[in-house]
This record gives sequence, C-alpha cells and structure tokens, in this order.
Amino acid sequence: MIRWLCLLLMAWSGVAMAQSLVTSSAPDKVGVTIYRDPNRSVDGALDLENLQGFALISETRIVDLPPGVVTIRFEGVASGIVPQSALIFGAEIAEKNRDAALLSERSLLDAFTGQRVILRRNDPATGKFTEETGTIRSGTAGVVVQTAKGFEPIYCSGLDSDLIFPNAPQGLSAKPTLSMTTKDQPGGRRTITLVYLSQQFDWQANYVGEFSADASELNLFAWLTMASSDDTSFVDAQAAAIAGKVNRENTDDSGPEEAQSLDRRYNCWPSREAMLAQPVPEPSMVYAPAPMAMRMKAMDMESDAASIVVTGTRRAVLENLGDLKLYRIPMPVTVAANAQKQVAFLIKPRVKGAMLYRVQYANGLEAPQMLFRFKNNKANGLGEPLPAGKVALFQQGGEQRFLVGEASIADKANDEEVDLIFGSASNVTVETSDGESEGKNWESRRLTVSNANPTPIRFEAEFPVADESIAFSKFTGKMLARPGKLVWTVTVPANETAKLDWRETEKD
Amino acid sequence: MRAIILLPLLFAAPVLAQSAQGDVSVTIYNNNLALVQDVRQTTLSAGKTIVEFPDVSAQIRAETVTLIGADFGIVEQNFDYDLLSPNALLKKAVGQMVTITTTNPATGAKTNERAKILAVNGGVVVQIGGRIETLSEYATNQIVYDSIPPNLRARPTLSVTLDVARAGTRPLALSYLTPGMGWNADYVALFDEAAGKIDVQGWITLTNSTGTTFTNARTLLVAGDVGTLQQGPRNYQRGMSNPRGNNAGTETGSRERVGDFYVYPIDGRTSIANAQTKQVSFLDAAGVPARKGYEFRNGWMGASDEAQSAASVLKFSNAKAGGIGDALPAGTVRVYMRDARGQSQFIGESSIPHTPGGSALALKTGDAFDVKVQPVMVKREAITVDQWERYAQYRIVRKNGNVESVETVTYSVPKTFYLTQMRYIVTNAKPVPVKVDVVQAGLNSWWWWRDLRIPEESIKGEQVSADERVWEVPVAANGKTELTVTYVTPW
Repeated sequence: MIRWLCLLLMAWSGVAMAQSLVTSSAPDKVGVTIYRDPNRSVDGALDLENLQGFALISETRIVDLPPGVVTIRFEGVASGIVPQSALIFGAEIAEKNRDAALLSERSLLDAFTGQRVILRRNDPATGKFTEETGTIRSGTAGVVVQTAKGFEPIYCSGLDSDLIFPNAPQGLSAKPTLSMTTKDQPGGRRTITLVYLSQQFDWQANYVGEFSADASELNLFAWLTMASSDDTSFVDAQAAAIAGKVNRENTDDSGPEEAQSLDRRYNCWPSREAMLAQPVPEPSMVYAPAPMAMRMKAMDMESDAASIVVTGTRRAVLENLGDLKLYRIPMPVTVAANAQKQVAFLIKPRVKGAMLYRVQYANGLEAPQMLFRFKNNKANGLGEPLPAGKVALFQQGGEQRFLVGEASIADKANDEEVDLIFGSASNVTVETSDGESEGKNWESRRLTVSNANPTPIRFEAEFPVADESIAFSKFTGKMLARPGKLVWTVTVPANETAKLDWRETEKD
Repeated sequence: MRAIILLPLLFAAPVLAQSAQGDVSVTIYNNNLALVQDVRQTTLSAGKTIVEFPDVSAQIRAETVTLIGADFGIVEQNFDYDLLSPNALLKKAVGQMVTITTTNPATGAKTNERAKILAVNGGVVVQIGGRIETLSEYATNQIVYDSIPPNLRARPTLSVTLDVARAGTRPLALSYLTPGMGWNADYVALFDEAAGKIDVQGWITLTNSTGTTFTNARTLLVAGDVGTLQQGPRNYQRGMSNPRGNNAGTETGSRERVGDFYVYPIDGRTSIANAQTKQVSFLDAAGVPARKGYEFRNGWMGASDEAQSAASVLKFSNAKAGGIGDALPAGTVRVYMRDARGQSQFIGESSIPHTPGGSALALKTGDAFDVKVQPVMVKREAITVDQWERYAQYRIVRKNGNVESVETVTYSVPKTFYLTQMRYIVTNAKPVPVKVDVVQAGLNSWWWWRDLRIPEESIKGEQVSADERVWEVPVAANGKTELTVTYVTPW
C-alpha cells in the first residue's frame, strides 16, 4: 500500500531546498461517521442527487518517513473533502496544502502557452498524419498557433488537427490532492491518523412499525439509511452515524473542484459565441475526464446494478457522544461511492401505546387526526433515543399487510411522549354547532363526535389555555390539564356519539 | 523528421512555464485582498522603452500599480486584456492580407492563395485576386495570418513605457493590490468533557484564486479588515444569535503588530500555487480549561407543542492564564470529541470574529439531544391600569438603580396592560445533572418604554439587558424542572 515514491530535489528559481516527498496511496484503516443534513426537515427524504449532509472521515495510514522535513501526499481521500477541516495525529505538521489545479485540456493549453507543441494534421484524402512543431500564442480563449507559415487558428475549420503536448506539466493532478509538510523530524515508520470533513453524505432514520391486532402495541423496527455521492469508496470502514443537530457555519466549502473544459470552437468565428451557449466537448482528446462526467457514469452503472444494500442481521450500537448520539455499525462495512446502505439500529417488538383520535382548536375544529401515542420509556418496551425520521406504519389485515399511514418523528429523547400522526379519520367525524345560550361577548358552543367504527375509540379535543382572543370556560366534560392546553378525553362507544359544551368569551 | 529531432529538446525540461517573477513578497488581508511586491532584475536600454511584466496576478488592480527603480521616468502604463483568440485575430485582420490554404478533400492537394479580408460581420467575406468569397467554418480552408496585432495577448499583461536615462540592469520594484487571495483562521478544538479541558490548534488557511502562482514568496498575513471602497462597511453578526458568555478581552498578545492589526508572518519562503488552499499552523495550546453549558432562547410569547432541544455551548477563554494567551483572528472553530473507542468525532462548529486576547468565548456547537425545553404560555390576560399600578413594586431595576423609563413623558402612556404567565418545562434525559440557561428575549419590545414588571418567578432571574432575562435552571439527572415566570407588560 505504502510506497516510497521518490526523493525529489525541488529547485525553485535558484533557491534549492532539499525536501522529501512521500506518497501514501490509500488508507490502511478508515472510519466514516455520517452526519445528517442539519437543515433537512424531519420528514424530508434523502436527495440522492444532491446530498447536503456530510461525513467525518478518519483514515489511519502507515508511512515510512525519511528524516528531515517531509512532504506527505495523501491519495485516495474523499473527493468532497473540506480541506480546512483536515487535522492530523501522529506527526507534527507545519503546513498543509490542497492543490486543486487539475489536469485537463484547458489547463494543458494554459500551461503550454508560449511554448512549443506538435501540431498533427490529418490528410483527408490519404488518412495520413503530418506533424509539425508550433508555438501556442493564445491562452485558453481560443487556440492560435504560430507555425513556419504564420499564425493559424486551430480547431476552427473542417480540417482535422490536434495538438500534442510533450508531457503533463508538474503541479497539475488528476484529482485534487492533499499534502502536508512536517516539521523537522527524525524519520521512521509512523502511524498517521488523518481526519477531515467531507461533503455529499447524508443519513436518516427510517422507522417501520406494525400494529398489533388491537392496535395497543407497535412492533417498531428502524433502519439507519446512509448515502454517499462521493467518488471514493471506503472499503471495510468503521461506519457510524450521528444523531442530533450539529451546528454548521455557512462557510463557502465549495464542493469538489472540477476541471474547466475547453470549448474548442468557442471564439473561432464571429457568430459562434452567440450560437454556442453550451460548451460542446469533443471526445477525441480527453486527458482527464472531468469529475462530474465520471460521477455521472458511475451513477448510471449503479442504477443498473443493485445500489441499495440491505443488511439487517447485525444492528448498529448506540453510544453517547457529548450531547449527540452515535450509532456505530459493529462490523466493517464498505461505504461505496454513489450508493445507499441500510443497517438496522432499533428492534423493539412490543411498544405499548394507545391509538387515539384528536382534534386541536386552531381557528375552529378541524377533521380528527389519527395518532398512536406512547411514552418513550422502558416500561412501555422502548426507552431508547429516537433520531428524527419517517415512520411507515402497517397492520396485518387477514392474510395481507396494509399500509396504515406515514408519520414523522423529531429527535426524541428518553421519557418523552411521542405522537405518531399518521392520517385523518374517515369513520370518526366531528361537528361543532352553536350552543343554546349567548351573551354580550360570549357564546356557548357544542362539539359532537360520532364514531362509526364497530369498536370503541379514544377521543381527545385540545383547547389552548392562553389564547390571544378567546377564553374557553364552562366545559361540560372532564378536562385534563396538559402544558398550555386543556384536553377533553373521552371514550366513544362503538357506533355512538359524545358531546361537549363550552363557553367562548371574547377577550378585549 | 525535423519534429523528431526537436522532441528530446522539448521533453527535457519539465514544462511548467518558468515564472518571470522576481523576489516576491505577498501581504494578505482577511477581506480578499493582497498586496504583492515583486522585485525583478530588469535590463533596460536607454531611451523610450516598453517593459512588460508577465506573471502578475491575473486579477491585478492595475490602478494600484507602482514601479520603483533608478534612473528612469514612467511615460505610461498599460494593462492589456484584449485576449488573443481566433475570433479576435479575424476581427483585427479586416482590411489586411492573409494566406488561405485550401485542401482538396479528394486528393489532399493544398493550394495557397493570398486574400484580403473585407468584412467580418456574422460571416467572413474575403477577396481573392479578382473574386469575392465567403468562408464558412465547416470548409476545408485554413486562414494563416502573417502577424499578430501587438495588443492581443495570450494573458492579461501589464506593460509600462519608460523613459530610461541610463541603460543597464537594475532592480525594478513592482507593487500592486489584487483580489483573489485571502485568508482566515481555522481552529481545531479537541474537547475532553470529563477533564473539562480543550486542546486548541490554530491554522491559517490561505487561498489563491488569482489565476497566478506566486513562487517562493515571503508571506505576511494581516488580521483585521482593512477598509476598501469596493466592499463597503463590514457588519459583524455579533450579538443576537450568539450564545451568552462572549465577552471581549483586553489582553495584548505577543504577536507582531502593524497599527491596529496583528501580523502573522509565515516562516521562510513559501510558494502559493494557483487554486491552492494552504494551511500553516500558528497556535497550539493544550489543556485549556473549558466547560459545557446549555442555553435555550425563547422569543416573546413563544410557545411550542413539543419540547425543543437546548443549544450545547462550549465555553473557554483565550486569556494567558488559560494557556492560549493570543488574539484569535476571525475564523471557524471546529470542535471534536473522542468517542468510546478513542476516535475523534466532530461535534459541531462555530465561527468567531476577530477576538482580542483575554476574551471569554461561548460557542454553540449544536443542539443537545437529551436536554430540552418546552415553553408554554399559561396565562395571557389584559389587566387594568389600577392592577398595573399594584405591580409597581415588581419593577425590574437595572444595575444603575434606574428603571430606565426612557422619555416616557414625550410619548403617550399606554392604556392597556397585560399579564403573561409562562412556564418553561426543562427536561434532562442524561444520567448526570445539568444546568440550563433559559433566556427570555423580547422584553424590550417598545424601545421608549422600559418598565417591565415581574411579580413572580420560581427561580431568581437576572436581567442581562433591557431585552433579555436569564434563569439558570438546575435539572437533576433524568429529571424535570419547571420554571414559571409572570410578566406584566404594556405589550
């Protein structure tokens, strides 16, 4: 894995400075910790084309260092690396560099401006090639070459001609490269840990719940779904995911740099500029495929193959990390480029809760919601932190399994109450009507709830205790006090109705 | 054949264009601005001479160029950015003679003809001998020009016309400003919660997108923003969104200073390549005392159905006593923590402004999963002026003893007053007790009216500003604490 590449004597305009260069081509061990996009909503799906979360990559690399000041080049780092975030353990570093000048047709032209190249022309009749040397006189705004005959634009006629460059200039690389220069050190074998943030990762929790026949229990299962749209695959990685919201600053971590392409025909003819809004790359002379193109290709390949890897036998293990929750996947896994992976992190077969129908007073009473409510504690068969995510709820109906509805959970800690709101009721209806009396600034109101189900239901109506404009009083039912609310809780028998009267007084 | 003979010569030298730069010094400011000083040994001939300066920043602000040297006067200075392209060449060749090489696609035979370009308006019209032709871009003919017009350049080029009194070689000191280079600081803080300590590393991150590589340059970084006309005044996002506990200090660091700015020289000479991000270490402090806190900030009359996570705040000082003892240039602090296996994990980041030595820092790193606050409005009712007067004894008096009823005389005294009772339910699902700073903002809704009355609060609060009151709420391990506060206000 680790090779000594060479000992380079680098001379910079007269000042000679002996410096060793060591290339570490790939990590020996790698850890990938994925963070959720802090700005994605709780029920938002992963956008596989444009992942906005990020990952912390920690790579262990073993290098043999010669004594003195050494520059270590790190190859095979994630393409979405945020270079400012890189930190290193195991060596004293004086300087870190990230070179993003990429090798491309355009950068070649730029590097060879004013220098001699070979101009190869194809004879259309014989198919023979003729070569002559020329000097590039223009920059990248269009190609003009000085030959023995005079000054010629290249790529601007129907004739087939190409430029041949003698070599790839130093300092241009196929991929953005991270390198570090150590302080003066004695040399020897070192284990270096390189840690950095990388963009274009994301994860989310996906819950699958199945109600018991009487809907008093939920068989809750949760997937940790990780996705990467990075170009680098991390093989046998220690993978983990972090739950909780991490603060990110709006810094300009621009994504992976991409080589600028050269439009050969741009600037050839007076009318071409307007005609060609989109650069049209030609396939004949591709020195380095732009990262974008490579990614697109990889994605096409992925969509043919099975890109979703489902592993359910082992479970991610929970660990506290400061005020965050860390889910560690216990076995080494491969976090593949442009792929999605799912690992189970929660299996709780009997979570006790209650199904109920609810209306909330918000500008009148709306259609009742159906929800499953449980307190997240051990007594109810749960008592685990629940990271934010979507919940798909099923129920067995005869031979078949039915989707009951979808809900979402915000980050829920132990002992919190969770409401899974999964739909609006059609068999339970609520009507409000004016009551029998009214006064100067008050009126009485009545709520009638009808249950068309063949089973009794639990029903709740919530009223705010400190509404801006209306004071609620004189309830005819038994009201429970919840934070900020008064709640009428009633069991409506099968095929029956229940009524509540109250008074609404206008506040001035 | 000739090509083959030439090849070894061509291939011998690694071909990244030898830079024409001389002894380069670069001073980089925070706000995307750099001062480049470039001393070049230049041979001048006597009389009026044009000197070109290739390899200056492609984004040079030409109006800021100064040239210093002996025995010459500057006649004029030009910055040519008319770039050479086939199209520009064609347009400039109107009225001139060129050679048109036509290849017969069937035989491959080439014929050369002299032609005069008559017009280039959406197509090319040429005169060949006695006939007029139009050229199409798909035709098999090639235009060969005799020369390139002098002001068409491969790259933007600075040229100066000098009146030289004495011929010979001498140093010319070229100095100019360029955007496209900037720097900021990046900090790595490794937090050990059990020990209550952080290790802080500071890195200077400088970026070069000028399009030009500066080779072997002496580099100096200046912290602080120099005023520039093009950018307008700078606004710091201080105050509102930051957690409490950020206080500017008064210690002077040991750094070199220029005027009001701190200066960070980079040891030795360094090359700043184009499209490069370079990081140089400037601070390394271990075992700095630090602690974690929680803060929840509620807007006026803010209430929510579900409990909201409190912010986790990391607090430390950059005073000498703590171990840092240095001013911190503006940048981003990334906070890491070791997990159960000892691996570093990222727990959040926060940006800081230029921070003088001895300051207290409080950085929000993220939201706490297990520490939450649910603000609930318990009561909201209008009260009479008489009732308002009865609450006079609960006036909040600021530290100077004033109620700070700012010029109430000139404004009409409000007629309606409100009593608002809030409950803040603070829960802790961690196995250790925590303290949460609950901040209620919006207590200064009317800037001319500062007569807030708080008849009841279950924990003694502190009025930290006219707008904000804070309560330190202790919560037991796996416990819950309710804070109830009654506000009497005219809004």
